[in-house]
Amino acid sequence: MTAGAFPRTAARPIRSGRRARPVVRPLAIFVLAVIVAFFAVIYMRISLDRTAFELQRLNRAIAAEQEHYWDLRVEYARLQDPDRVTQRAAEIGLVYPEDVRTIEVSGVAKTVGGPEDRWTEMRALFSEQP
Amino acid sequence: MRRPQFRFGDLRVVALGLVFVLAWGGIGYRLFRVQGANAAELAQLGFDQRLRHEQIEAKRGTIYDRDGVELAVTIYGSSLAADPSLVEEPARAAAALAPVVDADYVEMVTRLEGDGRFVYLARGLEHDVAEEARRIIEEEDLVGFIFEEEPLRIYPSGALAAPVIGLTRLDDGSGVEGIEAVMDTELAGRPGKRIVERDRAGRAIPQAEFLLEPSVPGSDVVLTLDRELQYAAERSLQAGIDRTDAIGGAVVAIDPRTGEILAMVSLPSFDGSDRSQLDPATIRNRAISDVFEPGSTLKAVTVAAALEEGIVRPDTPFETPREIEISGETYSDHGYNPPVMTVSDIVAKSSNVGTIQIQRRLGNEAHYRYLDAFGLGRTASIDFQGEATGRLEHVTDWCGPACGASAAIGYGIGATPLQMAEIYATLANDGEWVEPHIVSEIIAPDGSSLVTEPRRREVVSADTARTIRSMLRGVVERGTGRRAALDDFPVGGKTGTTNKFNVESGEYSDTDTIAWFIGIAPIDDPAIVVAVVLDTPRGELPDGTDLQFGGASAAPIFAEIAETALHQLGVAPTHDADG
Repeated sequence: MTAGAFPRTAARPIRSGRRARPVVRPLAIFVLAVIVAFFAVIYMRISLDRTAFELQRLNRAIAAEQEHYWDLRVEYARLQDPDRVTQRAAEIGLVYPEDVRTIEVSGVAKTVGGPEDRWTEMRALFSEQP
Repeated sequence: MRRPQFRFGDLRVVALGLVFVLAWGGIGYRLFRVQGANAAELAQLGFDQRLRHEQIEAKRGTIYDRDGVELAVTIYGSSLAADPSLVEEPARAAAALAPVVDADYVEMVTRLEGDGRFVYLARGLEHDVAEEARRIIEEEDLVGFIFEEEPLRIYPSGALAAPVIGLTRLDDGSGVEGIEAVMDTELAGRPGKRIVERDRAGRAIPQAEFLLEPSVPGSDVVLTLDRELQYAAERSLQAGIDRTDAIGGAVVAIDPRTGEILAMVSLPSFDGSDRSQLDPATIRNRAISDVFEPGSTLKAVTVAAALEEGIVRPDTPFETPREIEISGETYSDHGYNPPVMTVSDIVAKSSNVGTIQIQRRLGNEAHYRYLDAFGLGRTASIDFQGEATGRLEHVTDWCGPACGASAAIGYGIGATPLQMAEIYATLANDGEWVEPHIVSEIIAPDGSSLVTEPRRREVVSADTARTIRSMLRGVVERGTGRRAALDDFPVGGKTGTTNKFNVESGEYSDTDTIAWFIGIAPIDDPAIVVAVVLDTPRGELPDGTDLQFGGASAAPIFAEIAETALHQLGVAPTHDADG
């Protein structure tokens, strides 16, 4: 018996409806994935832009705070200005004492160090300040 | 066969085709030009429109006083500018803005009515002023105004020590006077570079900024000045100028042990924050740039040289006639002096004749050697711009005995107040010269610092210096400098008065003088040297004392400053009950 002896109609495989579904599903998933990816890319792009704007806003805030820091330093120095202090003292009626008495207390004499020994706490901040 | 006939419709088709061919040809040509031949050039043009190379300004360093108080600070301020072609109502805009930014209304209107596309209306505005101007521009709906951010140099203490600290230029912020100029390289820092992508409106596009090179901030400069003492010195000198109606004056206060300049005053002065009032005459620092004949204050050097050479002792007697003639020049004393005086009395009474007698015994060569060793004829410090060297001719150029006699009493020699303070600081520091300096240290942005180490050298022995100091004490206790005395501290010093030399006429004035007092306090353990000079003091005290003399006009200024300084420095009173 040879292969040609088979009746053609009897041996032909039948395409059932169930076997056609796998072809549609991946396509649908692919299309869905493309759509999701498309929106994801858009979303990420928007997020990135938002982050960039946020970063820019923060940088501006940092710059503003740094400027504020120096504004306060200047204001502090101005408030300490001897001329201002003298005028304020005169306004509230302070006068120099007629008699100045100096009391020496042993062990608390003012030490005179080199320039690097002065205002050490403040100079420690030098490399930290904006 | 029938020949095809020409039809009008065919012509239209041909014409249309031709139009299409030309159009497509044109497009093709343009495409070739844009994408091919000129592609690189056009691409660069596009980049250039969006990308801008910008310089990142380096923040200028701060100048501090010895206690870390800011004397000069850079903050970011604003400039108000305008595009006149866009400003619709210049008069209304100027009326609203001029008072806020402290500008002249007429000047602002003139600028707004100009033809240009950009004019500055106000520069160096601080934040609050700029914000107020912005608010007004919004409220008044003004168009064509621009705010530009720019570094702004602030001097928190106003005019305090202004001639010392100096000034910066408004445009590039570089130093032009004083410490700002001398230390400009250190203070300025190094600008950086960046590329910024901007949109059509000129706004920076986020995440499109590329840093090529970061800016490096300038170093901070710490001065030896004490702000409180500087203020006290300025007040005292100003009061002295007001009292004597002097043209101006200068004060230098030095710690003789370290060479640190604690105060340096030059009046009249200016306020670096208010440039509208700037007068070139007030910008110069008289303490280092004005050269005066030191007069009797230089007698200390003559006597110190003679002591050091072993030619005289404090009790060595000298004949002191009323007048002495040398090489045709006649020298005399002010007021009465006994016919014989010791060296101590000669110093105390400031006898010209006696000092000339000492100098003649010393000789010109030795005298010159000491004048040079004490620092005359050369700049005292490297910390100042435009410091004068003074005037000290080489001894080979001296005119003989007469020049020596004049030099002995402080004539024919020119010195700045800083140089004279330097001489007395050497005597106060047991004869050791310490280089005067005003820059204490330079602090780099990383916190590392470079501390000034002043040069030192011995000029005279400690014994000679102590002997001279005891003589200077006599000047204040029983001589011409009584008005320099303090209740709580023993002080010593020397008065000096010279007739003012008129450079234009080449003659000495009969009426105008230069009045000096240079003192050391406490004289037995020196903590400070103060040199005071008044230019052309006038008038007299209620008791008839002529204020043209240093003992009457400059000595009280010294007393005020020295007392404040000693309290400020924490020096305990050492004056005993007997004085």
